[in-house]
Amino acid sequence: MKLSGLAFYNFRHSVREYGVLILSLAFSVFIFFSFQNVVYSDSVAFLESMRKDMIEMGVQAASVVFGVFFFFFTWYATGVFLQQRKRETGIYIFMGLDNRKIGKLYALEAFFTGLAAWAAGTGTGILFSRLFQMLLLKLSDVAVEIRFSISLKPVLITAAMFWGIYGLMVWRGYRSVVKSSVTELLSSAKQKEHVRQGKLRTALLSLTGAAVLAAGYVCALKTGRESSLNYALAAVILVVAGVWLLYDGLIPAVVEAMCRKKKFLYRKQRTLWINSLSWRMKKNYRMYAMVTILMITAVTVLGTAIALHGRYENSRTFRNTYTFQVAGFGEKLDRQEIIRGIEEENKVEYSSEIRVLALPAELFHTPYVYQDYGVIAESQIRQAAEDTGLTWEYPGLQKGECVELTHIVLLSLADSEPEKEMTLGDTSYRVLGACSEPFLGDLQNDMSFYVLDDQDYEALISQGAEMTFYNFRIENPENLEASEDFIRSLSRQDENGNYLVGTSVVRPEDSEGAYIRITYSLCLFLFVTIILAAGSILFLKAGNDAREDRERYQVLEKLGIPERTLRKSLGWEIRFTYYCPVVLMAVSSWFSLRALSNVMLGENLIWVNLFSALFILAVFAVICLLSERSCWKTVTARKS
Amino acid sequence: MGRKLAEITDLTKSYGNSGFQSQVIRGISMDIYEGDFLAVMGPSGAGKTTLLNLLSTLDKPDGGRILLDGEDLGRAGNRRLSEIRRDKIGFIFQEYNLLDNMTLEDNIALPLALNGVEPGQVQERVRHMAELFGLSRHLSKYPWQLSGGQKQRGASARALVTDPEIVFADEPTGALDSRSGRELLESLKQANEEGKATVLMVTHDAFAASYARQVYFLTDGQIQCRLIRKESRRAFYEKILDMLASMGGERE
Repeated sequence: MKLSGLAFYNFRHSVREYGVLILSLAFSVFIFFSFQNVVYSDSVAFLESMRKDMIEMGVQAASVVFGVFFFFFTWYATGVFLQQRKRETGIYIFMGLDNRKIGKLYALEAFFTGLAAWAAGTGTGILFSRLFQMLLLKLSDVAVEIRFSISLKPVLITAAMFWGIYGLMVWRGYRSVVKSSVTELLSSAKQKEHVRQGKLRTALLSLTGAAVLAAGYVCALKTGRESSLNYALAAVILVVAGVWLLYDGLIPAVVEAMCRKKKFLYRKQRTLWINSLSWRMKKNYRMYAMVTILMITAVTVLGTAIALHGRYENSRTFRNTYTFQVAGFGEKLDRQEIIRGIEEENKVEYSSEIRVLALPAELFHTPYVYQDYGVIAESQIRQAAEDTGLTWEYPGLQKGECVELTHIVLLSLADSEPEKEMTLGDTSYRVLGACSEPFLGDLQNDMSFYVLDDQDYEALISQGAEMTFYNFRIENPENLEASEDFIRSLSRQDENGNYLVGTSVVRPEDSEGAYIRITYSLCLFLFVTIILAAGSILFLKAGNDAREDRERYQVLEKLGIPERTLRKSLGWEIRFTYYCPVVLMAVSSWFSLRALSNVMLGENLIWVNLFSALFILAVFAVICLLSERSCWKTVTARKS
Repeated sequence: MGRKLAEITDLTKSYGNSGFQSQVIRGISMDIYEGDFLAVMGPSGAGKTTLLNLLSTLDKPDGGRILLDGEDLGRAGNRRLSEIRRDKIGFIFQEYNLLDNMTLEDNIALPLALNGVEPGQVQERVRHMAELFGLSRHLSKYPWQLSGGQKQRGASARALVTDPEIVFADEPTGALDSRSGRELLESLKQANEEGKATVLMVTHDAFAASYARQVYFLTDGQIQCRLIRKESRRAFYEKILDMLASMGGERE
């Protein structure tokens, strides 16, 4: 039999054993292809009008994140595959095959495995491309008819990504086989040495890990308050390093301490599973750390998606408070007359009229410098609140007090500490707080406004120019075109081209917002994908460990250890593998979402945190249960 | 003579399917008494290991009956057999079968810990067994850090730590050099004489068998004869060699 024939024979006969590996790789290919296809398919070309550049950027960013993840995942998965195949193909040494030939045999088998995964992933990706896009656009609330369209580019990019990374890993495996000694080949799947760490090293690693992680958490809490970008970056680096060090130092030290404390250890199946954990910790800690980091990333991605989406919805509501806005510069208009004009075509739901004093920017001394500043008398705001049903939380402003009227920001890396004092000319005002009620609707996005006590307002009139905003909300904003001409007809300019009356029409559909909605959907997909990927890494790892445990369980059975005890022991070990990263994720994600919440200017993400952690817990509980069953089957399988 | 621990009557066992059956055990009967040290000898294929597997509940006979402590093993279900192995039987395998992921101390402690014995008592028993088998200095080592002899003594300590009714040893010196083999046999002898442990050992080695008090000779699945030691170990060894020679083997 030729080497390729033998490799194909081996591949066919072990396809069930490596099914999970093929499935995970195929799933990764499927997701990557689907993302790429969004960018290159014709059907999404309509997004041109909806900031397609931003959408493409989002998709490509997601692809890069996914590519990095795929790199580590393949590194790990092919490592497991290599270990298995090394021992099995090592037998060929007795048939006269040299290392180079065994290496080729391994590489060919790995190639067939990769080919199966790539073909399955791309094939499914093509088959489901329309469904994926429909799902993506449906989730993004973008109504467009999707055609089945496939272009060659995403197929080629996916193939290049997959074979680039996978090929590199296979080459790494080939080199490892070629350089292995005969004994290594025959016993590579068995760990021969349990490396006990020195006490000093363990103590140092544990302390450093805990300190680094704590520093990461502190940085996360500081993000959004001072020098955000630096703190955010430091938080990411420190949390990743801290998690890594924790798995390399503190957690193994705790497990080893449990092994040494015999009064604790010698309690039923603890003797088995804690020893087993301790034995494997050194070998597995990278994988645990990787999964934990992946999960923290997933929760943060989800938090970002939901917060962004929530913010976007808020800002849309903010924007759409009024359908029409008319500004009279010095000139007084008749609000009722305008209402009558609008109501010829549309019913007005509510309206308001607010007098604003525009002041030169140089009079203001505020932490951030805006182009346009205005002040409003509190009585005006109170009246507008009454007219529109908006809430005014600061009734009865005193002399020397003010409230800032703000707008909704999607996210901000600026310091979010509210200002305490505002200086206007020579007078200082105590800032009572910031109000984000859209009293001035869309215009509030473009100018910086302060609400003052009426007397303070009157005192400033001589320094600025007064204007009055007339704001109208119609019952059916979809029908605004019917009244648009009337509103536009109100606009007037003087002989110099300066506006005496200005008008603004606010359309409910914000086409630019589509990119935010698509980013939101992509984040959701990424979240689910990362969680499933993290789960499948643990599943693979547990399966591999179970194969190693087969002989141990046979011995234990011979010794008369009851099946129930063995099953419990296996269960505890597997549960630790799954739930330890979940606990670390839950703690770390609280900090990462706090940081995000600060960047989102106080958006409350506690529910996002809770739900995403519970979702991960639920997914992991299911995978863990499947893993327990599959591992039990593996350890009790009798393989001659 | 102590109480009768096991009563084996007309035991048979065949392997293969109906067309090509090979009868490995052909009507073996024997009694085992508390405190016995038995050896079963015979050439390869004589059925020694099969007999051991049947007696130790690892395999089920086709015919005949095994009564262990008055309980018919043929009527016991898998769960009960597992309990019998845990509570009444100790095993020593040729390949040691220590778990490589735990220290020698934990290996010896394992059967007691899993049986729910109080941890303090477990530690005490482990220390006692380690002393008996000369392993006190090696307790914190992993199996890969031990020599073959130490491993096998560790496996024996594990087998005896639960105070089983009977210990089954399958070629326990098979993978050991002569010195390690002798040390192990001395330890087993001591456990038998001082700790009143009942031992049934399968071996092809006359020297190992000479430590027993009775030696059964098996050929073609049947007991050919039995030797009972009345003299010194060295004289008994000579007697075993003579018996082997008379049965068609060669004296070494």
